[in-house]
Amino acid sequence: MSFLDFFKKKKSKDVAKDRLMMMLAYERATTKIENLDEMKKDLIAVVKKYLNVKDIHIKNQSNQDIETLEVEIILDK
Amino acid sequence: MATVITVTSGKGGVGKSTTTANIAAALAKLGKKVVAVDFDIGLRNLDMILGLENRIVYDVVDVMEGRCNLAQAIIKDKRVPNLHFLPASQTKDKTVLEKDKVEKLINDLKQNFDYILIDSPAGIESGFEHSIYLADRALIVTTPEISSVRDADRVIGIIDAKSKKAQNGEEVEKHIIINRIKPELVEKGEMLSTEDVLHILALPLIGIVPDDEDIVKSTNLGEPISLKEDSLVGEAFRRIARRIEGEEVEFLDLKAKKSFLEKLKGLFK
Repeated sequence: MSFLDFFKKKKSKDVAKDRLMMMLAYERATTKIENLDEMKKDLIAVVKKYLNVKDIHIKNQSNQDIETLEVEIILDK
Repeated sequence: MATVITVTSGKGGVGKSTTTANIAAALAKLGKKVVAVDFDIGLRNLDMILGLENRIVYDVVDVMEGRCNLAQAIIKDKRVPNLHFLPASQTKDKTVLEKDKVEKLINDLKQNFDYILIDSPAGIESGFEHSIYLADRALIVTTPEISSVRDADRVIGIIDAKSKKAQNGEEVEKHIIINRIKPELVEKGEMLSTEDVLHILALPLIGIVPDDEDIVKSTNLGEPISLKEDSLVGEAFRRIARRIEGEEVEFLDLKAKKSFLEKLKGLFK
């Protein structure tokens, strides 16, 4: 790459790639768990045995190497 | 033991049927007994791409509903001795398929063939689910365009959830085929490269196929291009077949064809 390339506009394929990666990061996170609602209900039922639960947020995230499930339990005050 | 390979993509029009036809023909050329099965009920096309549309008497739905036996419905290709074809029904729609009937059909085919190539319909509805349910391997066809890659990603995400293998704790072996690559555009940075697509989809590659006018011609004629020895696209498909067979084959070196003027410009760079 020469120093002149520095002033060039971003290639359209780079824009395409960036847009795709953004979109897929979002889509992968929301479509991974098939029975999300059921799982939510079960989780609430379990935690409710010990605490007052208001709501549960579940987020699934993944990149190339690692996949995580984020569970946020909101308690009733 | 027979291998069931499902060719799928999510998005329509990316070259699933062409890929199925050509890999089936190339595998048959390698001496394997192959049957290409069209699962695109109601919108069949594999018959025309293979050039066998005039020989259809019975179809896959006739077999499943017992109106004929399997041997009556299977069409034997006259050009390649080991190539066989089982057409989709054109008068029904995708909802006609039933899981247990599909399973019986595939198991019957397994008794008689080395490879069963299933041409899946576009989409992720029941037709797709039936075609992936019994797959040992999946070939995901994508073009280097955002809509195609996005849909491929979606399909990859649900293959295991819909497959019997995954229910038994195994995994469907998944590979990417990148179709219709235009080397001139990739070199200019105006088309996603092979590396870009693989980086996004995070699965191993099994084939790269250049965009080529020869394909249009061979589809017009109903002659799979993988049977044409001197064609570059044909070679791309033949190499995929060899890789399916477990051979390690180099990927094609796809370079833009340069005009005289461009070559001249290159000298002064």
